[in-house]
Amino acid sequence: MPYQIIVCGGLAPDPLQTLEPVTTPAGPGLKNELMLPAVFDPWAGHALYEAANLAKNVPGSVIKVVSIAPKAKLQQVMMTVAQKLPFELVPLDGPGGGFTDSASVATALADAIAAIPGLDKSQMLLFGGWESATRGAGVVMQMVGEKLGITEQFLAVDELKVDESGALIIKERVEGGRHQVSKCAAPPAVLAWATGNLPEPSNHPQTGMANMRAMMPALQKAKAAALTSTLSYASVALPAVTRQTKIVKDVPAAQIAQELADWIKQ
Amino acid sequence: MNPLPSDEPEVKPLDADIVCVGYGPATAGFLTTLTRGLQEESGQALESRAMPGLPPQVLCYERADDIAFGVSGVVTRGRAIRATFPELPLEEIPMATRVSDEKLVYLLDPVGASRRPALMQLADKVLQAFGVKQSGWELPYCPDFLHKRDGFILSLGQFNQWTGQQVMMSGLAQIWPSTPVSEALIENDKVAGVVLAGDGTEVRAELTVVGDGPVGPVGRRLDEVMGMPAGHARDEWAVGMKMVVELPESCTLPEGTVFHTIGYPEPEIFGFFYVHPGRVASVGIFVPSWLETPARTAYRYLQHFVQHPYLWQHLEGGRMRSWGAKSLLESGRRGEPHLCGDGYARIGEGSGSTNVLTGSGVDEAWLTGTQLAEAVLEIYRAGLPFSQENLKTRYEARRRRSWLEEESIIAERARNGFQRGVLTGFIGMGLAGLTKGRVYVPRPVEDKKAARLEDFYVGRVSHSQIEKIRERCARDGKPLHDALMDAAGWPPIQFDGQLLVSHQDALLMGGKVQAPSDTPDHVVFLEPDVCIACHDKICIEICSGEAIHPGSGVPAFDHEKCVHCGACLWNCPLENIEFCAAPGGLHSAEN
Amino acid sequence: MEPILVLLHTTDEGALPKAALETLAVAQTLGTYHLAVLGANAAAAAQSVSAGALSVRAIEGDAVAVSRYATDAVAAQALATASGATVILAPCTLRFQRALPGVAARLNGACDTHVVAVDPDLSIHRWYYRQRMEATQSRTARPWFVLIEPGAADPCAAQPGAAAEVLPCAVETRTEVIGYQSPNADQQTIRPDAQLLFVAGAGWTKKQKDGQTHTDEAGSLILNFVQHNKTSLGSSKSLVDLSGEGQAVLPFLTHLHQVGQTGSTPRHRKGLSTCCHGEEPHVVGWRFINERRAINLDAACGWARGKADVLYVADAFEVMRELAKLL
Repeated sequence: MPYQIIVCGGLAPDPLQTLEPVTTPAGPGLKNELMLPAVFDPWAGHALYEAANLAKNVPGSVIKVVSIAPKAKLQQVMMTVAQKLPFELVPLDGPGGGFTDSASVATALADAIAAIPGLDKSQMLLFGGWESATRGAGVVMQMVGEKLGITEQFLAVDELKVDESGALIIKERVEGGRHQVSKCAAPPAVLAWATGNLPEPSNHPQTGMANMRAMMPALQKAKAAALTSTLSYASVALPAVTRQTKIVKDVPAAQIAQELADWIKQ
Repeated sequence: MNPLPSDEPEVKPLDADIVCVGYGPATAGFLTTLTRGLQEESGQALESRAMPGLPPQVLCYERADDIAFGVSGVVTRGRAIRATFPELPLEEIPMATRVSDEKLVYLLDPVGASRRPALMQLADKVLQAFGVKQSGWELPYCPDFLHKRDGFILSLGQFNQWTGQQVMMSGLAQIWPSTPVSEALIENDKVAGVVLAGDGTEVRAELTVVGDGPVGPVGRRLDEVMGMPAGHARDEWAVGMKMVVELPESCTLPEGTVFHTIGYPEPEIFGFFYVHPGRVASVGIFVPSWLETPARTAYRYLQHFVQHPYLWQHLEGGRMRSWGAKSLLESGRRGEPHLCGDGYARIGEGSGSTNVLTGSGVDEAWLTGTQLAEAVLEIYRAGLPFSQENLKTRYEARRRRSWLEEESIIAERARNGFQRGVLTGFIGMGLAGLTKGRVYVPRPVEDKKAARLEDFYVGRVSHSQIEKIRERCARDGKPLHDALMDAAGWPPIQFDGQLLVSHQDALLMGGKVQAPSDTPDHVVFLEPDVCIACHDKICIEICSGEAIHPGSGVPAFDHEKCVHCGACLWNCPLENIEFCAAPGGLHSAEN
Repeated sequence: MEPILVLLHTTDEGALPKAALETLAVAQTLGTYHLAVLGANAAAAAQSVSAGALSVRAIEGDAVAVSRYATDAVAAQALATASGATVILAPCTLRFQRALPGVAARLNGACDTHVVAVDPDLSIHRWYYRQRMEATQSRTARPWFVLIEPGAADPCAAQPGAAAEVLPCAVETRTEVIGYQSPNADQQTIRPDAQLLFVAGAGWTKKQKDGQTHTDEAGSLILNFVQHNKTSLGSSKSLVDLSGEGQAVLPFLTHLHQVGQTGSTPRHRKGLSTCCHGEEPHVVGWRFINERRAINLDAACGWARGKADVLYVADAFEVMRELAKLL
């Protein structure tokens, strides 16, 4: 049975950038937020690569990416993501930062998904990252699932296989470096992905070109996402703690090893 | 881990109408003007010839991971940029502001290690005797040919991003980042498109716009195949290296302040310091090809430059936010290639548009892009092919009629004097600038070349000392320059972990340099024997990112550290380096 | 004071995990609370810590014997609703992190996770942008699920009290839990109970002084140390990426080992970094490592800038060889 795979994914600042909080009239934000180069959220990216893998193995499956972000930024980031695999984009123009309220992000995503024409819930797999690189909360996917009435949900997924009966065999991370293995008889289901096991696909210019034919008009028409918040921030600050680093140089390896052994045994 | 189990998409040629190589200020000017033209009423009637029924299909491929990853110290009069945007909304462009104060400053040598001619040493003494403050003498005026007082300060990365977003939101052009172009597709002496580096996709287009800068592989290949116009050569270069610094609270310089500097850390090295909004400054230097030292890392010089008392009074306590480097093609009009041929046109710095007299390149590059776009729209409207003749009469002719050409001619011989010596260089530059190019110093028959280390350091570092340094650095796998500069009297850098950081940290903290680890090396040493026999291996010493280091005879290259400045390419006296198209490099959007 | 519920779950073996006692400890600083437990043997587990609780409820039986969204969500919803609480404190275990955000959505409330502290005025503290900045915040939405990060508080010494009222729970679900998979002995990742986190950086795979790579020896030095000393094993992203691309590097490292911006943020008393430069995106994953030491050839590396307590400028191969003799 082909799947309709919906991947929720936002943007995050390129992890290499230096981040600092600032106070804006709209609440906390990042210093120079507009300037920072953005990437597709790394965990959502893993979900997307897994979706691509599944869609390739199950002919007829389609992938739609639902994303809330400032649309010019989203357009910029999509020029990279769109080269990796075929998908349709459902863009919502809105703030993409980590300080937005997860509950309202979930509502906006759920509304956008519910409005996708021709969506058949019995074939639907709702994918996303288990946490974002911005808010890092790990709550949005479950909330979107609930709002769409999907009660089979999996968090921190590293592997999805489909058995001969069409059931989904899912490995979720649990404490202690272990995986819990579950069998879900059929869609719909929510899978919030950890890293999975797939490498990032390489870029394919023709895939990008094909994707962009529909994406550019969709981006131009992207509607504003109305986000509300029940959160109020008293403060957002960088940690002030800096350690006094003792630098040990020109000491024989044996002596360093002895110091380390003593420290480890303490 | 398993690779994706199923097949990769089949590599098929892509068809477009116009394909651009590289997204810098020239291509930005081109695409901005072109997409505007296509949006206007008369433009909307224009139809793709590759895909009839659709508007012209315009693609642009950029090597870097983001359109915001450029490097330049941009203080510009912005005449061409303002012609495109008469109401340029500087407040919408992060880091942009108007020039509020501009000074040309002669920097004395406060450490006594720079190689100054006797006359300059005397001048230093006189200035000191007159009590010049902070070892910096503010010249009473900034010559007209150099001034930018009616202009503005930009971050090239942010300006690229601002223009790129507008171009893409027009829906009429696509800019693809992380997509290096390996070469032009040449068929029967015509350019028929480009070949992408990743999977070898051919992108076929009626017009290929080459804006890949001074060291771009597409432009270089075209020079090889098409040859250079008679008397033209690319033989003057510089490494530009900059930091973006968050200024300390104590700094009271208003935004828009501009210092152009001469005299330090070496007399041949020009420097700049511009204050952006939000107490942020761009600080950088240009290390030219006529600086004779074969051990000339721009990074170490940059660290001495920022610590010059004239600048340090504003920078001390600051923090490096960003860092980057690039090659500058300083041959100007003399380095101009054939600007167009059947199916292609050259724009931007790689087309020889940078003006070395006025120290301006971004605005000139932008202008060439807009001129080409106007020509392209005309050619489309007339239903003509993109032949050499049609491009010559519309693009090249526009360029020849414009201020760009007029000023390029003035600048053409302005720097000849530097091939004879620093003082002759400054005199020649002044003469050419003030007489509008009518008077200049003739260029010597033989250009200056990097000296042998032993000759360069005569009287300052003994042969035996150099030999010991060579042995030690070879053993430690390090370049020579730090040890040589220490030996020549440059004070060691006291790292503060904020502004003065190791080269490795500049890559990580400032450049945020990253490269995909699965791509092949893009700097290739062609003949191992040639490298093994090479005495000075300037490639190692000039490398802006410590990406080239001593190997076993042939230098070793670490592509994860490369910032794609291309300095190794033009510094190899034996032309034994190939610099190929590759993704990666800088990740800072502020440079 | 708003009515607070402390919602806990048991392990598959029917015991309360340490994280449960930590959450209880946080609740005790806030005043009185209701108590509810779900999972195997939940009623007995609830009674074992119920001293002082305003009410005690439990849901146990086959439906909740294992961790599963559909059943956990229904049980948690029933327990939360029955308590009448507007603020629900629960441990941020993977079981609850999976189940409770959806319950919050069902009840039209809100859920905050990875909370590291709760003030008496119900302001919460949590990290944003992968441990790069800490926020203090409060919520108006109710019911409000506040999930306390394991390790954020010391566990309390709770006393037994009243017996639990056991609520029924019947749920239809299409999901069946088949079991667990543990990594092979040589694929050890994060052991939550380990004292020490050992982190391997990409330097292990680079050319060494003799111009050659020594990845076989690197692998055996690392695995030997980790297995012998029962430490957690982490890795920098660059090393995991190298391994993932099929290069001949350290094949036992996967994304599960990755510490940092796009990896995990484990909690251990001590951490030893080897052959890793200490750049910010990696070190944000060390936020909850108390004592940090690093071995690196570069005295100017990131660890030297206030990120480690001690930086040994040395060859990690040599040090680890010596260390193997001592431990």
